[in-house]
Amino acid sequence: MAGEGDTLRDRVRAIRAEFETALVAAGDVSTLQAVHDRFLGRKSGAVGELMKSLGRLPPEERREAGQELNALRDELESRHEAARGEAEDRLRAERLREQRVDVTLPGRLPARGRRHPLTSTREDLEDIFVSMGYEVYDGPEVDDDYHCFEALNMPPDHPARDMQATFYLKDPPGLVLRTHTSPAQVRYMLSNPHPPHVRIICPGKVFRRDDDLTHSPMFHQVEALVVGPGISVGDLKGTVQAFLHALFGPQYPVRFRPSYFPYTEPSIEVDLGCIVCSGRGCRVCKGTGWLEIMGSGMVHPAVFEAVNRRLGRVAYDPEQVTGFAFGLGIDRVAMMRHGIGDIRLFYANDLRLLEQFPS
Amino acid sequence: MKIPLSWLKEFVDVPVEAARLGEDLTLVGLALEGIERHGADAVLDLDVTTNRVDCMNVHGVAREASVIYALPLRSLDLTFAEAGTPARQALEVEIEAPDLCPRFCARVLDVRLGPSPAWLRDRLELVGVRPINNVVDVTNYVMMEMGQPSHAFDLARIPGGKLVARWAREGERLTTLDGAERVLTSRHGVVASPEGALALAGVMGGAASEVSEATRTVALEAAYWDPLSIRRGAKALGMHTEASHRFERGADPEGTAAATARIAHLLGRIGAGTARPGLIDRLAAPPALRQIALRPSRTDAVLGTTVPRDRARAILTGLGFRPGAESGEATSFTVPSWRGDVSREIDLVEEVGRHHGLGNIPPTVPPARGAEGLRPRQVRERRLRDLLVGAGLTEVVTHAFVSDALAAGSPPRVAVENPLSEEQGVLRSSLVVPGLLSTLRTNLRQGRRDVAVFETGRVFSPREGAPGEEPRLGLLLAGELGAGHWSARGRVVDFFDVKALVELVAERLGPGAFTLATDGLPALLHPGKAARVADGGTLSGWLGALHPDVLRAWDLRGEVYVAELPLDPFLEAPSAPPRYRPLAKAPAVLRDLSVVCDRSLTVAALEARVRSAAGEHLRSLRVVDLYEGPPVPAGRVGVTLALAFQDPERTLTGEEVQGALDRVVGDLRAAGAEIRGE
Repeated sequence: MAGEGDTLRDRVRAIRAEFETALVAAGDVSTLQAVHDRFLGRKSGAVGELMKSLGRLPPEERREAGQELNALRDELESRHEAARGEAEDRLRAERLREQRVDVTLPGRLPARGRRHPLTSTREDLEDIFVSMGYEVYDGPEVDDDYHCFEALNMPPDHPARDMQATFYLKDPPGLVLRTHTSPAQVRYMLSNPHPPHVRIICPGKVFRRDDDLTHSPMFHQVEALVVGPGISVGDLKGTVQAFLHALFGPQYPVRFRPSYFPYTEPSIEVDLGCIVCSGRGCRVCKGTGWLEIMGSGMVHPAVFEAVNRRLGRVAYDPEQVTGFAFGLGIDRVAMMRHGIGDIRLFYANDLRLLEQFPS
Repeated sequence: MKIPLSWLKEFVDVPVEAARLGEDLTLVGLALEGIERHGADAVLDLDVTTNRVDCMNVHGVAREASVIYALPLRSLDLTFAEAGTPARQALEVEIEAPDLCPRFCARVLDVRLGPSPAWLRDRLELVGVRPINNVVDVTNYVMMEMGQPSHAFDLARIPGGKLVARWAREGERLTTLDGAERVLTSRHGVVASPEGALALAGVMGGAASEVSEATRTVALEAAYWDPLSIRRGAKALGMHTEASHRFERGADPEGTAAATARIAHLLGRIGAGTARPGLIDRLAAPPALRQIALRPSRTDAVLGTTVPRDRARAILTGLGFRPGAESGEATSFTVPSWRGDVSREIDLVEEVGRHHGLGNIPPTVPPARGAEGLRPRQVRERRLRDLLVGAGLTEVVTHAFVSDALAAGSPPRVAVENPLSEEQGVLRSSLVVPGLLSTLRTNLRQGRRDVAVFETGRVFSPREGAPGEEPRLGLLLAGELGAGHWSARGRVVDFFDVKALVELVAERLGPGAFTLATDGLPALLHPGKAARVADGGTLSGWLGALHPDVLRAWDLRGEVYVAELPLDPFLEAPSAPPRYRPLAKAPAVLRDLSVVCDRSLTVAALEARVRSAAGEHLRSLRVVDLYEGPPVPAGRVGVTLALAFQDPERTLTGEEVQGALDRVVGDLRAAGAEIRGE
């Protein structure tokens, strides 16, 4: 029966070769299953058939042949298992590939609105001052001559009134659209719960009869007022510097030079090193290297005196208390920050402009 | 103010070149606007503030420079030769109105009229003055040099040989040098002959007494005019001249006599004239020289630095202040006649500060006080913006000035007396009209179709005393929402979009729940697609579609939804913390109910019926579908309601739920509704 033994070995060899060929040819899980059925199936698998023929072998050969066939079955099972795993991996990978999205497509945002750049600028200014211990205060946009001018050392016919071309109301007479937010400062001092201490900023709309590239009949200002014993020009300088550095960055120099406003004495104009050319001189700073950024000064004693007269008591004794005030245009700051050359763009409300400011 | 460097150097030996001088002047308050080069000469253009009329001339600027560089200031040469008969024999001067003219100086000069020499013409042109003839040129030269305006009359054309400073008679007529005939009032000052006005005091000369080629003798006037009188008079006539500019800001009362001498000197120097002996000087009200005490401690306290006493004194004396008596630490200073702007101690502190150098004051910060923060109202206003921006609306800022015509249909308005134009004649009484509608139109013209914007701002209404100012919130939606993304189509806005925004803001910030009423709507709204806020506590306002007539008037296509609400209720609503409601222990039983009812029955009314009929176990009720059209008969609407029944403590029995449903169905049937799919 040696022939039989050779035959068995030949058969094993043949089955292995056929299995390899079938396995390589099988690309997917179902074909692999067919290969499995053909060689390893319980009912009619080739290996099983061969097992059945073991009985015909002499007992002494049967053991060895049985081990060989078991080894064959195990080997083929494990080969098939590996191939199926690979096929399944391929299949999964393909599915994942099919599920891919184009990540370069725009994301689906909820509807997106924007704050007006004047609002974001104003809020930034407010935040800086609030962090420095200031209260934010506002008054009416229509105010009377007393609060807007007289209490601020600008009696009727004062030439300085020409500096602030004023809108008047038709009726009643004596009312104006405030030309600056200073009347709010007067109102605050008049109603101050803890005089003589004041530390406020007054942001808001103001109105002047001007209309060109850099002037709008309506624009926005923020003014600061600090009053108390011992407040000095040095305090004004330190505060203005800290504020401008917080707003524009510490790399720009700040310059203080004498000026004139009726409600401050001394009056001081503040220049900021040009943020466009860094002081080298350009079209924006007209070659000077400086940008006029705000007016400021020490509160004129006449302002304290006017407030005291109105109060009927000396709440702010000019001999005991001093103060500083400064004011700047929010529109101007926004123009500088965003490189906008025409103030009127802020009020044109063209969405093509507004949508450039994420906020 | 234009200052040629060569001219300035006649009075002070400026040791630096023009650019540096400009910088140094800027730092004492004479801001350099620019430098023009003219050959070897440079002309500094300085921005002189209105209070510093003393620096609106070359000599005044030279004084500042002399203090900056601690150099001597040369005075003007006022010497001249006199000849002929005494001046007073040819000219008489009288001040009739001392309130108008505190001082009037005059001289009589025999002149040889002709063109000025080249150097004089050149200088005038450098400072922007057109040369005319030697006599007029010299008066202008002296104004630019030392600040005193003056006027030369042709003596032969002064009837009676007498000049009177007086107020004009009502209706008095005068033809000024510019050829215009002026009708005067008693508020205008004039220089007159006994026969009538010759010149508009302090503003402009008159044509009738103008110096001409035939002039042989001139009467030279250099007066000090009351600033307010000149300002009012010039303003009333709409006039502004180099002379009025200086007088209305306060010229130097002592400059009058000096100016006549300087003019006589210069006319003599160029061979154009000789003064007759004697100055005619009428002084109606001698100005009091002010004495101001300055305390070094005050100076240091205000400036926040220590200025050495010698330094302060040197600055002030250099500027012309004369130190006098000392009392304690204070020194009394006499204010020079040309510094009308200096009237109290703080003004002297400023002078010291200017020249000590603001740059030399160390920056400090005021001592800390209690921290402030944004007020709740201000925080809520920011949250409101966040909400609306988050909901897709872009903030706009529209003008407070609007056209009366465009605002038509809205409430009474506050008119501006002097608007820039008719289109900006009144203050807005609404944010929507015209502000937000204009915004929409602007953007439609740019090719935009989808616009969602809001504005917060004040509107104005006439009121006894001052106009009312009410902060409002305005919304506008037009076109599609969600358009422009690759994944979905946009949806055309409708009433429920604008309603949702109002609900969102009211829920997050405001007084909470409100109901809507459809009566009493503003005329600009579509009567069937709009509502006003009712039962909203402090909340009021309106929302809805624009009326088709308004759309047509504004040339708008498609529907536009707007809302306008008072802002205060959102900013001031008390934020009572919500109360916890125990979580139910058993799940809710859900039932849908499809009802067909009359269109006239509102969903709110339907809900009310269902709630009342269902009883206590109805936990919530939502409209999940709405349908009109076949098979639902015309005039009726199919509504699907999702009902949730629940008891907080236990599971409801089937009978309880069915019982509630039966009651609802019965009630709705009784009300004429039909129940589908039951």
